[in-house]
Amino acid sequence: MMKKTFHIRNMYCPACVIKLENIEDELDGVQQVSASYHKQTLNVEWDENRVSEEQIKDAVRQKGYNTFD
Amino acid sequence: MQNFWIAFLAGLTTGGLSCLAVQGGLLTSTLAQQVEQDISLATSQPGKQKPAGKHYPAAPRHVAQPILLFLLAKLAAYTLLGILLGALGSILQLTATMRAVLQFAIGIFMIGNALRMLNVHPIFRYFAFEPPSFVTRYIRRKSKNNVNLVTPLFLGALTVLIPCGVTQAMMALAVSTGSPLQGALILSGFTLGTMPVFFLLAFFTTQLGARLEKHITLFVSVVLLVLGFVALESGLNLAGSPISLNNFLRSLRSTDAATDIAEVPTFSAFQESAVKLATPDLDEQYAGENKLVVQVLNNGYSPEVATFPANTPFTLILQTQDIHSCSRAFVIPSLKVEEILPATGSVAIEIPAQPAGSTLYYSCSMGMYGGRIEFKG
Repeated sequence: MMKKTFHIRNMYCPACVIKLENIEDELDGVQQVSASYHKQTLNVEWDENRVSEEQIKDAVRQKGYNTFD
Repeated sequence: MQNFWIAFLAGLTTGGLSCLAVQGGLLTSTLAQQVEQDISLATSQPGKQKPAGKHYPAAPRHVAQPILLFLLAKLAAYTLLGILLGALGSILQLTATMRAVLQFAIGIFMIGNALRMLNVHPIFRYFAFEPPSFVTRYIRRKSKNNVNLVTPLFLGALTVLIPCGVTQAMMALAVSTGSPLQGALILSGFTLGTMPVFFLLAFFTTQLGARLEKHITLFVSVVLLVLGFVALESGLNLAGSPISLNNFLRSLRSTDAATDIAEVPTFSAFQESAVKLATPDLDEQYAGENKLVVQVLNNGYSPEVATFPANTPFTLILQTQDIHSCSRAFVIPSLKVEEILPATGSVAIEIPAQPAGSTLYYSCSMGMYGGRIEFKG
């Protein structure tokens, strides 16, 4: 099980939190997601055998946000 | 019923924008879920993949319904809050100092939110309410189970926990009525007034996408900044502070037309010029006493700046003639004087002797209008 905090660019309001947290339901293998508008972060816990970090970053990008380390 | 219309107009003119800035997070949370679902449906069709950054408008009816439900729940929650605040007001009265502190807090909150929306510094993000993770989780669970009516209703009711600046002022007004019915009328009128702005802005930003949203954000930020500074100014006036924009402007105006005791209209002089006095016997009642007459207008007080001899107690006579603005709620913070004046009539306030060089500041209970009396030796 992997756990990582992604820093998100361009979260401009608290609604972005819900949009990003939807990843939990959309990507198979993602166990838990919590986003913060205040900190501009996305904490993700995932099963690396079922989904990769790149796939998670892709999902974030598709929602219109950019991740940076 | 008059309170209802005043509150309604406040909601329609300023409340909609300022509330949207504070509570918009909850509304857009509702809509975000709907938009996400529509996008997911659109892109689940074979050969469709949502490219990053592209705007996908949700179906108009899918957006209108949650906004309406959100607003209805908000209306119900605020009406209930109005009843509670009115009832609270019957046992507790807000002092001028408490209202001044409230106005300061409101002003800072509004300015903070405007700066957040303008992306001035990351610290201002903390002025926005972020729904707690249990709420976002709840929204996701409900939408997964297709119980979409519950989410906007739940979030609409939650707005009661994050009142915007103007709402807080209305809440204070509801408390000051000391009546559950009046409290309910004020907050329901205000919430109804905010609805058109809430609906139109939320609907069109969802429909027209990021470019328009950027312009609207800029517009709302500027309005919020102005409202924030107005609230700070009100707080300063209510606290009886000599440092306020009102006092500065008054000083500029009074440089050319300074008044002294000889020029201050006496009660008799005012009586002659006034159309009709509600209590003409006041002149007789205060004959021979030191008095100063201040005419209460719908948009302030006249004279705005008066001078009076120091070390002389006097009677301040406040004269109203068909006045229906907040100038009727008269406050002298330093003397802890608070009077609700009649729409038409006169009220006399005994002012103790004041030292030479001192100034007595007064204002309406909202801190919007004010004036001062300077004491000269």
